[in-house]
Amino acid sequence: MKDYLKYAGILLGLILLQKTVIGFIDITEFQITPDLVIIGLVYFGIKKGKISGSIAGFASGLILDIFSFSFIGLMALSKTAAGFAAGFLHDDQKLERYLNSYIFVIFVSVCSVINNFIYYTFYFQGTNLTVFDILLRYVLPTTVYTAIFSIIPVIFARKRRFTR
Amino acid sequence: MKILLSYLGNLKEYIIFSSLVVISLILIFQNDNVQIRFVRVIAVNVIGTIQNGFSFIPNIFELQRENKSLRETNIDLSKELSILKESKLENLRLNSMLEFKQRTNYRIVTGKIIGKTLIQTRNNITLNIGERDSVKIGMPVITDKGLLGKIVAVSSNYSIAQILLNKDLKVTAKDQRSRVDGIISWDGQGKVRMKNVSKSADVKIGDVLITSEYSNNFPAGIPIGYVTTDNTLDNLFKNIEVECFVNFETVEEVFVLKFLSDDERKELEKKYNEKTN
Repeated sequence: MKDYLKYAGILLGLILLQKTVIGFIDITEFQITPDLVIIGLVYFGIKKGKISGSIAGFASGLILDIFSFSFIGLMALSKTAAGFAAGFLHDDQKLERYLNSYIFVIFVSVCSVINNFIYYTFYFQGTNLTVFDILLRYVLPTTVYTAIFSIIPVIFARKRRFTR
Repeated sequence: MKILLSYLGNLKEYIIFSSLVVISLILIFQNDNVQIRFVRVIAVNVIGTIQNGFSFIPNIFELQRENKSLRETNIDLSKELSILKESKLENLRLNSMLEFKQRTNYRIVTGKIIGKTLIQTRNNITLNIGERDSVKIGMPVITDKGLLGKIVAVSSNYSIAQILLNKDLKVTAKDQRSRVDGIISWDGQGKVRMKNVSKSADVKIGDVLITSEYSNNFPAGIPIGYVTTDNTLDNLFKNIEVECFVNFETVEEVFVLKFLSDDERKELEKKYNEKTN
């Protein structure tokens, strides 16, 4: 239980960062920002499995929805899917390897693509943007930007492992 | 029943996931709900306050974008300003020419200088008017400031004029105040001078020089320049330096006066000269 509370706290902290500071480092004319919450969510999903990943995704997505100007439920939906996908990677034997190596960056990228694809496809429904446009302008840049940021926890984890 | 429960137990992950997806979809379709809007208003206020607290942090990328956009705007505005300045100057020049055109008694053709040489001993200008505009060889070229030169070659659409800064052009001139005559020409070394003025003649610095009625090439009374230096050249003549009214370096538009020398007068003078010689 203590473990879950710790991760909930981390996710809340990431949500707060996402909604406050991250806006200052947006790039491209479409104001792309890294998704810190998905990094935390993937970490949590790998560690705790599909159910925990889905619930954490739904909860964090819902909070993000409430704090945003878009549809309520949209971020919840995309984050639930991403959390569930991260849960698929849960494997007690390979946990250390997944979380402390650069494979984590690949997992974050995959989950980020799922999250962003669902989110932006729904979000831009009714506009003139094609799926290709959405992929090129929003999904891929956000994924790459997020993947770059996901290197940070890996670096810290490796450092910690070596010092141990 | 047990089997069913066990089967559902195996699928619990998918059932929970599906339930969450369904809840999310329901929420999406409930977006206009008053309660949801109320919660959102509070949340947005909270996040707005927090973001306001962080607003002192400069957004590097945003600053870069803004900087780029401002630079582009600056270039556009500079271009526009340059065009406006050019238009203003052109307007001033054309206004001044229009005034001159209205007050002159001669029929004139307006032309633009499209070529100019100012570094040789025989300097010329090329005009964008020619025979089609009734321009003929020998016609005087002037500006609203004064005499510039005379036409020496004409094609159907272009013409070439000798300017005062040409050693071959000599203009019979007169001191407007004292009516003393002389010949104005360029020395080829940077000075326009009035020659053949006797030592005792009444010419002072600042006197305005105009074309003389003795000239068969130019109508009388066209301003040429003013006296800047008055020295004695030798025992007989004065060394008078003249500053032309026309700025040859900046002049752009000119008038060609439809004035041609009087052939009868020319013929008579020629005959007399032959006889006396």
